[in-house]
Amino acid sequence: MKPAISVQGLSFCYPDGLAALTEISFQVARGECVGLLGPNGSGKSTLLRHLNGILPERLLGENGPIQIDGTPVTSLHLAELRRQIGLLFQDPDDQLFCSTVAEDVAFGPQQLGLTAEEIHQRVQAALQQVGLGDLAPRPPHHLSTGEKRRACLAGVLACDPSILVLDEPSSGLDPRGRRELITLLRQITATKLIATHDLELVVELCPRSLILDRGRIIADGPTTTLLNDEALMLAHGLERPHVLQHAHPHRGEPR
Amino acid sequence: MKCNLKFTPTPQLVVRKIIGTIILILLITLTPSTHPIWFGLEGILLLGLLWWRRVPPRCVLRRLLILSPFVAGTALAAQYSATGVDWKILALRSTLCLLTIIAFAETTAVSDLLRGLRLIRVPTLLVTTLALMHRYLFVLADESSRMNRARAARTFTTGRRLAWLQAASVAGQLFVRATERAERVYDAMCARGWKT
Amino acid sequence: MHIPDGFLDAKTALTTATLSAIAVSFALRHVRRELPPRRVPLLGLSAAFLFAAQMVNFPIAGGTSGHLLGGTLIAVLLGPSAAVVVVTTVLIVQCFLFADGGVLALGANIFNMGLVATLGGYAVYRCVNLMWPGPRGRTVALTVAGWSSTIFAAFSCAGQLAWSQTLVWEIAWPVMTSTHALIGLGEGIISALILIAITRTRPDLVATSSLGVTPVRWREFSFLCLLISLGLACFVAPFASSAPDGLETVAIQGGFAHRALAPLRSVLAADYQIPGLTSPALSTALAGMLGIAAVLGLALLISRLVLREASPKKMLRE
Repeated sequence: MKPAISVQGLSFCYPDGLAALTEISFQVARGECVGLLGPNGSGKSTLLRHLNGILPERLLGENGPIQIDGTPVTSLHLAELRRQIGLLFQDPDDQLFCSTVAEDVAFGPQQLGLTAEEIHQRVQAALQQVGLGDLAPRPPHHLSTGEKRRACLAGVLACDPSILVLDEPSSGLDPRGRRELITLLRQITATKLIATHDLELVVELCPRSLILDRGRIIADGPTTTLLNDEALMLAHGLERPHVLQHAHPHRGEPR
Repeated sequence: MKCNLKFTPTPQLVVRKIIGTIILILLITLTPSTHPIWFGLEGILLLGLLWWRRVPPRCVLRRLLILSPFVAGTALAAQYSATGVDWKILALRSTLCLLTIIAFAETTAVSDLLRGLRLIRVPTLLVTTLALMHRYLFVLADESSRMNRARAARTFTTGRRLAWLQAASVAGQLFVRATERAERVYDAMCARGWKT
Repeated sequence: MHIPDGFLDAKTALTTATLSAIAVSFALRHVRRELPPRRVPLLGLSAAFLFAAQMVNFPIAGGTSGHLLGGTLIAVLLGPSAAVVVVTTVLIVQCFLFADGGVLALGANIFNMGLVATLGGYAVYRCVNLMWPGPRGRTVALTVAGWSSTIFAAFSCAGQLAWSQTLVWEIAWPVMTSTHALIGLGEGIISALILIAITRTRPDLVATSSLGVTPVRWREFSFLCLLISLGLACFVAPFASSAPDGLETVAIQGGFAHRALAPLRSVLAADYQIPGLTSPALSTALAGMLGIAAVLGLALLISRLVLREASPKKMLRE
């Protein structure tokens, strides 16, 4: 079976010459849930944007570095690609750009050219799934951060993507909002790639993780192994999560 | 600012409401000043509307007060300019018009207004701009007041020159942030398949 | 400067609404054609910015404070047609959501602040910047442009109020322009300061729209000159025509306008009566047109000289 996401030797520089990504290569199998860890400014957000085709022209094409479901990303496939990948942005205010929650969730399906009936059904289903059914007519400004995040997720789910790419899904959430989000994400069967600083969330959701620092992939392996490696964690601005410390009180002594 | 519950009508109803508001304002504007009794009737009609839709009187009053200086100023100027327009009539007329708009604004959700505008074929680009403006109005206003507070917390001098420079840098920073947010919003729109 | 409902009569409201609708639809078409899709959300965000920036207070003496109006600044940052769309959006929202400015007067308000102030201010900016290029010139140009845009808008507002016979022209324009000459000073300085602040953090945002990058075309230049001279004529002509009785302005500003008014009016009427013309407004308009012709001729002459000087450089660049 072809991998859901395949990246081969992806490099990217910002217009001012700052290298954001250098020779990135990894694969994600269908249905897998992978964590993407790394300190601030390590290139996580840049990488996620590339996956959704928000990238310069030169990286498009038959021999481009990114393949989704075995198909290379070309300008022809861009619309199809964006339909398959749902991207959850870091700041929910950026993503909720319509004047009500319902309109925002409907935005994606509208762009797909569905009928009014289908759009309505998808909006209802997506809002039910994230538990925001009664907030549909509200303007996004009046929502709490947790509700905003779930509304964003509903907007993404309404496009029915096979791959979900999440950028810092738990930032700014209170413990309850975070718990609700984790439960929600666990229910979604799509392939997931989660970039986050929330190591406990990664431990709960992702069996496998990638560590990114200064635009390079430093490590790729089972989450518990990586996170228990104290030296690796400290070297890249991370730390061993308390969950693992409590679960294995004697295994994690400093080496 | 908003202090009323809004109901969600169909777009057709909103269009009718827009037209009704304009007709009402037109009526008030065209009422001859020789028959002030009509102003009374229109006023009663408006107050009835406000009461029927349960718009809180305090809310209406506050809005009227905010907007009264221009009305009062021009009305006073008109009194001394001897064009034959009675300033009392002028003030009354524009207050009634204000009441009409307040009644409209207080009972119409912006999303419905936008849908109504789309229905009466206002250009898409203008409606999109309106929608985005309204969406990010409060986000940017919050950002602005946060930056102002941060500035005030670290300002220890009272020099006016410095205050202007700092206020300008807050506003400049606000524009830079607005631009960056616009880029991210564009990305978010593209990510969900927006075609230009 | 937002005109509420009830101050304009039907003919003024209708005329300005028609003119505004035509101009805004032109601006919209231009924006749709020229603006890259990437910058489409920027229109809405800029409108929101304008609104939020008006919450930033600039302290003036005695606890009062001023704030940005912003049409000219946006025109400099995004280009004139985009600025027309942005300011129009702000005015629509202010009208319908905050009841600031009337519904029937919306056309007039868009005309004054969205068109006259924004385009007039931008024309002044281009012309001054053309004579004085570079970052410092840009700052000076924006200060002057901000000031003149406020006066243009005030002047046009006074004209509408007078045309609707709400105010008498001889009172409307001096009161409006003299108070707004002060407000405009603040506007110009604030705009320039904000531009400097933006240039400091993101010079690329300013550079893309500045004069140095795009060469000015002859047609565009003469159009700008026409605009600016029109504006100047609007402002200067009444001054010129009423120069003998500058007392009137003083009287109004001195606060004894209403007491002195009755005798003044008779004096004024006598002064204004150019043979064959009974209406002061008409004679003012005539003087205005003569003024436009004179200023236009001068501007064309100057522009000829400027462009001849600039052309070898342009060829070198190409």
